[in-house]
Amino acid sequence: MSAPTVPIADAPGTAARKRPSAAKPSGAKSRVQHKGAILAFVLPFGALFALFYLVPIGYAIYQSLLVIEREGTFGQATQVFGGLTQYILVFQNGPFWQSIGRVLAFGLVQVPIMLGLALLFALLLDSPLVRGKKFFRLAFFVPYAVPGVIAAIMWGYLYSPNLSPFSAVTENINFLSADLVLWAIANVVTWVFVGYNMLIIYSALLAIPAELYEAARLDGAGQLRIAWSVKIPLIMPAIVLTAIFSIIGTLQLLAEPQVFRSFSSAVTSTFTPNLTVYSTSSIPNFNLAAAFSVVLALATFILSFTFLKFTQRKEGK
Amino acid sequence: MRIKKRATTVALLTAATVALAGCASGSTTQNGGDAAACVPSDGKVDLTFTTWIPGIEEVVKIWNEDNPDVQVKVQTGPNGNGGTYQNFFNQLKAGNAPDLGQIEYDALPNFRVQDGLTNLASCDGILDAQDDFVDWTWGQVNFGEEDAVYAVPQDAGPMAMFYRADLFAANNIEIPTTWEEFAVAAEAVRATGGYITNFSQSDINQFAGFVWQAGGTWFENDGDNWTIDLTSPESIKVADYWQDLIDRDLVSTNPPWTDEWNNAYNTGSNWTWNSAAWGANSIASGAPDTAGNWSVALSPQWADGDNAAGNWGGSSTAVFKGSEHPFEAAQFALWLNTSDEALTMLNESANLYPAAKSGLELSALKDGVEFYGGQAIYDVFAEASAQVSPDFIWGPTMTQVYNDTSDGFKGAVTGNGTLADALTSAQQSTIDALQAQSIPVNK
Repeated sequence: MSAPTVPIADAPGTAARKRPSAAKPSGAKSRVQHKGAILAFVLPFGALFALFYLVPIGYAIYQSLLVIEREGTFGQATQVFGGLTQYILVFQNGPFWQSIGRVLAFGLVQVPIMLGLALLFALLLDSPLVRGKKFFRLAFFVPYAVPGVIAAIMWGYLYSPNLSPFSAVTENINFLSADLVLWAIANVVTWVFVGYNMLIIYSALLAIPAELYEAARLDGAGQLRIAWSVKIPLIMPAIVLTAIFSIIGTLQLLAEPQVFRSFSSAVTSTFTPNLTVYSTSSIPNFNLAAAFSVVLALATFILSFTFLKFTQRKEGK
Repeated sequence: MRIKKRATTVALLTAATVALAGCASGSTTQNGGDAAACVPSDGKVDLTFTTWIPGIEEVVKIWNEDNPDVQVKVQTGPNGNGGTYQNFFNQLKAGNAPDLGQIEYDALPNFRVQDGLTNLASCDGILDAQDDFVDWTWGQVNFGEEDAVYAVPQDAGPMAMFYRADLFAANNIEIPTTWEEFAVAAEAVRATGGYITNFSQSDINQFAGFVWQAGGTWFENDGDNWTIDLTSPESIKVADYWQDLIDRDLVSTNPPWTDEWNNAYNTGSNWTWNSAAWGANSIASGAPDTAGNWSVALSPQWADGDNAAGNWGGSSTAVFKGSEHPFEAAQFALWLNTSDEALTMLNESANLYPAAKSGLELSALKDGVEFYGGQAIYDVFAEASAQVSPDFIWGPTMTQVYNDTSDGFKGAVTGNGTLADALTSAQQSTIDALQAQSIPVNK
């Protein structure tokens, strides 16, 4: 904190100025020579990326374009090209769109609460006023180390009316009822992911140069004012990043509702979009399940992209 | 450099295309139906067998010791609808299913429609085994066709009523013999603070067992078309009966197979369970504190003097399409499900109630069971087994039927619609599900 400001401010500046000039003499020719090396470095990634990402996506799209034909009640099934038949079924499927609506409502409430808490904890850890930072940093992060399914089972017991250690509460408020179960799940997700998001935001806070605080303090800003006017604007990219992760995570909810299905009468086999995909593939109707997945991926992409555009435009102003 | 880059792209694309082609061809090349070529393989044979029977490893060990040339490797997993069926379907799609798998009768049509089963009719000794099995179980594995055997029956689930003999006696409540008396007893039990039973909203096969007992059926297959009848008068009668008990808070509605549900039985707040023979094991493990207090009686009847029983569950051992050793697999399946030593062990470890007639004569099934106060409970199930109608047929998409019906039943127990509404909506969604797979169905 008390480090002299001038040399530090200078150092990154000079380095940045030097960097382009260092690259210049080698020129276009040397870049071509490096291409083989680049390829060698990229190939392992490229191959795995293709094998475990592009090929499955391509296969899902391919599957989603097929329909099954057969003769007789136990007839041999053949897959034939069916164009967009499966997609028509997807758009006619009421429960699927209800499940999308459900996770959107979930996201609108849960994501801001979770990120708000993550931001608050990160700011507290970063503030000079708090003691025992190492302990709290670990304590907040520990739930993320608990596998999601285990967390859901644990909370399922905590919620269950007669077995909960807090049965005085759970006998009167049924957290597993149709009205509350979505928010009971939101609580589990928040519990698991607050620490993770906090860590991303906290590491962004650590990257802020100390002299900015120094300057703010010289201008008479208190800790609250520094947090609001210096820290938060500077870590906005990290917050946007966590928001996008959270939006994607919300649309892909699977483990928690799947576990809660056995605890609660209110969680159906089509509670979230991914549960719908899972149930459809267990019929088994792989083609329709693939079409659901493709639509879900597109929806996730559109939503994340819109959010990014929206926040970037806001930043631009 | 550019050429190299293009070559890489081409290579990747080719790899992708090959992968796609491999996946695509796997699903179309197999032939269905023909029962040709069930001959012994040369040399040592290794078989894989996936099941969820507790203690199966010990049974298979005996086979492996006696048959050094046909070694069976067991994998255990969750029960069928709990995940193993989904694994089977995925493995079949990927072409790496195990040689043998445990499949409940209700799921056999589903696997057959997905072309996952080997017709064992031409395998040595299989057709002759028909007389060894209880009639209705054989009907479940040959789908009523000649020259067709798609699995070997393993166990049956004739239903009866497990009840807390001590609680009924202490409170002077008669053991109900009709469903009408059951509802009256339910009021008396509720007055003591307990529940006569739990309505298990997601055990749709238990509900199907009730419909089976009432003389209804859910599916028909005339060879050209499926007919779906989830809303037959018998189904609606059963649905309305339980809806009434739910509405009057005379039955609890804990999600089945949870600790909450076990706890209700273990603490004596639930008094009866209408379940299958294998349920004897579930009570003993789920409610250990109640040992000695249970008895078994025949199911309550719809009319005084009737004697009908439903069936819940019961499995078969099937040989999957793609197995390279159907002959050996069939021999193992026959041994597992007809030999006295295997059936005795299966009964001891998992309370399986054999589908083989000879199994019903096992001494293990004649003895009193300690947990049930020394009652010879299998005598009751033997009586129930003879009362199970052979006419109940399962549909080709039972996973979906169970999911959709249970979604509706879950709504009904939380005050959202009724059981009958749930059956009506599942009727439609089942028709849709069959049509989506081009399975011919009467609308």
